[in-house]
Amino acid sequence: MLGELGFVLLAGVKFGALYALAALGLVVVHKATKTVNFAHGAFAMLGAFASFLIVVKWQWAYWAAYLLVPPAIGLVAAALEFVVLRRLRQADMFTVVIATIFLGIALAEAFRLTYNTELLAVPALFTGPPLVVEGLFITRDTAWVIAGALATAVACIILFRYGRFGRGMRAMAANIRGAQLCGYSIDGVYMLAWFLGGALAGLTGVFIAPVTGVSVDLAISIITAGFVAGVIGGFDSPQGAIVGGLLLGIAESLAAAYVSSAMKNCVSFLLLFVVLMWRPEGLFAERAGRSV
Amino acid sequence: MSERRPDVSALGPALLILFCAAVGLKLGSYPQYVAAIAIISMLAGIALVVLVGLGRCITLASGSFMAIGAYVSTLAVTDLRIPYLATLVLAAAAGGCAGWLIAFPGTRFRGHNLAMVTLVFQSVCIILIRESTWLTGGAEGIHVPAPRLFGLTVTSDRSFLILIGIAAAAMTLLVTVLVRGRFGKNLQAAAGNEIAAEAFGVSVRDYLTAAFIVSSATIGFAGALLAPRVRILDPDSFGVLDSIFMLAYPIVGGMQSIWGGLLGGGGLRVLPELLRPVADYQELFFATLVILVVLFFPGGLSDLIRRACALVVKQDRLPAAEPAPVERPPSPVPAKYKQYADELLVVEGVDKHFDALHAVNGASLRVPVGGIHGLIGPNGAGKTSLFNIISGFLDADGGKVAFADTSLLGLRARDRIRLGMTRTFQNVAIFGQLSCLENVIIGLGRNAVLPAMAASFDGFAGGMASARERRRAFVALESVGLADQAQARAGSLSLGDQRRLELARAIVSEPRLILLDEPVSGVAVSEVEDLRQLLLRINAERQIAMLVVEHNIPFVTMLCRSLSVMGAGRILAEGKPAEVVSLPIVRQLYFGEEVAA
Repeated sequence: MLGELGFVLLAGVKFGALYALAALGLVVVHKATKTVNFAHGAFAMLGAFASFLIVVKWQWAYWAAYLLVPPAIGLVAAALEFVVLRRLRQADMFTVVIATIFLGIALAEAFRLTYNTELLAVPALFTGPPLVVEGLFITRDTAWVIAGALATAVACIILFRYGRFGRGMRAMAANIRGAQLCGYSIDGVYMLAWFLGGALAGLTGVFIAPVTGVSVDLAISIITAGFVAGVIGGFDSPQGAIVGGLLLGIAESLAAAYVSSAMKNCVSFLLLFVVLMWRPEGLFAERAGRSV
Repeated sequence: MSERRPDVSALGPALLILFCAAVGLKLGSYPQYVAAIAIISMLAGIALVVLVGLGRCITLASGSFMAIGAYVSTLAVTDLRIPYLATLVLAAAAGGCAGWLIAFPGTRFRGHNLAMVTLVFQSVCIILIRESTWLTGGAEGIHVPAPRLFGLTVTSDRSFLILIGIAAAAMTLLVTVLVRGRFGKNLQAAAGNEIAAEAFGVSVRDYLTAAFIVSSATIGFAGALLAPRVRILDPDSFGVLDSIFMLAYPIVGGMQSIWGGLLGGGGLRVLPELLRPVADYQELFFATLVILVVLFFPGGLSDLIRRACALVVKQDRLPAAEPAPVERPPSPVPAKYKQYADELLVVEGVDKHFDALHAVNGASLRVPVGGIHGLIGPNGAGKTSLFNIISGFLDADGGKVAFADTSLLGLRARDRIRLGMTRTFQNVAIFGQLSCLENVIIGLGRNAVLPAMAASFDGFAGGMASARERRRAFVALESVGLADQAQARAGSLSLGDQRRLELARAIVSEPRLILLDEPVSGVAVSEVEDLRQLLLRINAERQIAMLVVEHNIPFVTMLCRSLSVMGAGRILAEGKPAEVVSLPIVRQLYFGEEVAA
C-alpha cells in the first residue's frame, strides 16, 4: 500500500519539480514586467526540441544540452522581447497578453512545420539500476530531475534575493518610475527578465524532454501547468512558484492514480479556480495588497 | 419630429450575410460549402466583438461554447426528437448558460488570469465531452442527422447555405441592435472606465456577465448551425487551437465594430480555402498576422478600411443634424425637495480609520437645497476620504450620511444617481471611445442591463423614448457649450472640454446634488473663470446643489456660498467663505501663522 502511494507521490514530485521550474520562469518575467508570458510553454518546447537535436540528432554529449540550450532559448526570448514586446510598452495588459498568446502559437507552429510527424523521444541522462530507498524504487533519472530542477530553482531564488538584477526587478515591479529614477533601465531589465525567463524555460525543456518526449502539445501543457503553479504560489513569489509546482504535481498524480486519468486536467482547473476565488494574489504573496 | 425613424444602418451586417449567401448560391457546390462555413465564422466573429472588443475580456473558450451548442442541438434532435429549428434556440440558451457560468470568475479577473481561466475551462469541457461516451459518443463522435424543416430535409450544399444564411442573418441583426444601441455603449463604458461607469449606474460586473452570455449564446447558436454541416460531430473539432484562432477574428477584423467581426471571421475562414496548396502554413500565417495587426494596425481591417474611405471621401458628410433644442426656463426645485431646506445632504459624525490612521474623525457638514458648499483643507486632511464616503466609493466606520432623508451608508455608488446625486472626478473619467453625446446619454441613468437592452431595441425601432433621451443629452451638452462637439469622440477633447463634458453628464439626469471632485485641477488658468461662471449658471438655472472639494482657494471662495475647512480628519471651521478663510485657525493651517493666544 505504502509502496504504491510512495510511487504515486514520487511521480507527483517529479512532475511538480518540472512545473516549479516552468512557473519560476513565468514569475521572473512577471516580477519585472507585470505580465504573464503565454509564449513560455513554447519556449520550453523549443528547449526540449533543442535538446533532442543535441543529444539524438547530433549525438553530442548530454551535458552540452544542459549547457547550451538555456542560453540559446534565453537569447530567442530576449530577441522576441526586443522585436515584439518593446513596441507594446505603452499598450495595456489586454494587448500584451494577446501578443504573447499568438507569439507562442507562432513558435509552436513553426516547430510543427519542421517536425510534423511523431513524438520525438530523448533518452534519459542516467540509465543505471534504480536506487532503493526505504523499499521505494527511484530511477536515477527521476532522482536527477527532482534534484536538478529543485536545485536550479533554489539557486534562482538566492540570486533574486541578493543579486543586483533581482533588486532591479523588484524595484521595477514596485514602482517603475522610481526604479528608473534610481538608474535602472526599463529596456535593460525587461530584456534581462525575458532572457532569464527564456533560459529557465529552455532548462525546463531539457529536463522534461526525456520524461514526456518532444511534441507540439508540450507548449500548451507546460504553460498551463506553469501558470496554475504560478497562481497557487502567487506570480510575485519565486518560493511560491516552487511550492505551487510541487502541490500541483502531487495533486495531479494522486488524481490520475486514484480517480481517473481524465481527472488529472480537472484538478488543475479546480486548483486554479479555488485559489483565484479565495486568494487571487496567491498563497505566498509578498504583500497583503496595496491601497488604491 | 414625432415620426418614428428606425435605425436602418443596423440592418447592414445582417444584409451583408444575406449577400454572401446570395453570392454563394450563384456559384457551385464547393463555394456554397465554403460560404456556409464562412458565415458561421462571421457569426462567431461578431460574438467575440461583443466580449473581446467591447468588453475587453480575453476568452480562449470559444471552441467549447461552439461545441456545447453543436452537441446540445444534435442530442436534442436525436435523443429528444425536438425539431431542428427549436434546437437552435436551445443551443443558444445552453451557450448562454455556459457563458454565465464562466462569467463568475470571468468578471473578477482581467488579462492573463482571465485568459487562463477560459483556457482551462475549454480543456475541461472538451475532456468532459470526450469522457461522456454514453451521451456524446466520445472521441469517435456522433452522427448528426440532416435537419428537417417544414417537411423538407436539408442535404444539399445549396439548401444548407440558405438555411445558415437566413438563421445567421437573424442572429446577427439581434446582436447588431444590442451592440449599436444603449447596451453596447454601456458595455464599452464599463470596460473603458470602471469607476465612472459605476458612478453612473452601470454595474461593471453585470455588464461583463451580460457580454459573456450574449457572446457565448451567439457562439452556441453558430455551433448548432455548424453541427449538421460537419455530419460527424467529435470533440477534437473544437479544441484549444480553434478557440485561439477564433480569438484572432475580432483582432484581425477590428474589435470595435460588428463589421470587424464579420470581416475577421469571414476573411480568416475563407483564406485557408483559397490557400489550399500551402494549407500547412496557415496556422503560422494566422499567428504572425495577429502579431502584425496588434503591432501595427491595432484597429484591425475595418479601421484600415474606414481610414481609407475617409481619405477618399474627405469628410464630405457632416454628422446628422440634431433637432434644435427647445428653450427652457429655469427649472424650479421639485416640491418634494423643498422641505429639506438646509438639509439636502446631511453628514454627521462620520469616522474612517485606515489601520492606525484616523482619516476622518467625526466630520459633519450640511449642503442646503440649491446651495454651493465647499470643502477645503491641506493635503492629508481627510477631504478625499470624506468625499469618497459621500459618493459611495468608500465605506464609513461610523456616523450618518443622508441625502433627502435617505441614508447613503451601505448604498452602492451606482445607486446614488437614482436618488438624484451625481459626481465628477478629479482625474477626468470620461468614456474616451464614445462620442460626447453617448457619454451624456449614459449620465441619464437607468443603466441596468435589461432596461439598456430594451433601450437598444427601442433605439433601433426609432422609438420616442430614445429620441427624447438624445434631445435631453443634447440640451445638456449645449448648456456646457459643447453642442458642436456632440458627435466628436470624447477622448479627442481638450482637458477643459472633457471637464465640461463631465459636467454635462453629471447634470443631464437633473440631479439635485452634484459632487465636484477638484473641478479645476489641471485646467488652464484662462479656463478656470469660465468654468466657475458655468457652475454658477448651472446652479442658478437648474437649482442643482453642489459640494465642491478643491485646492484652488480663490476659486472656491468665489464659487461657494458656504465653506468647511478640514484638518487632520476633523472639520475645523465652517461658515461664509470670506469669514472662514480669515479665521486664525485656517490661516495657521494653510500659512503656518501663529494663532494669537
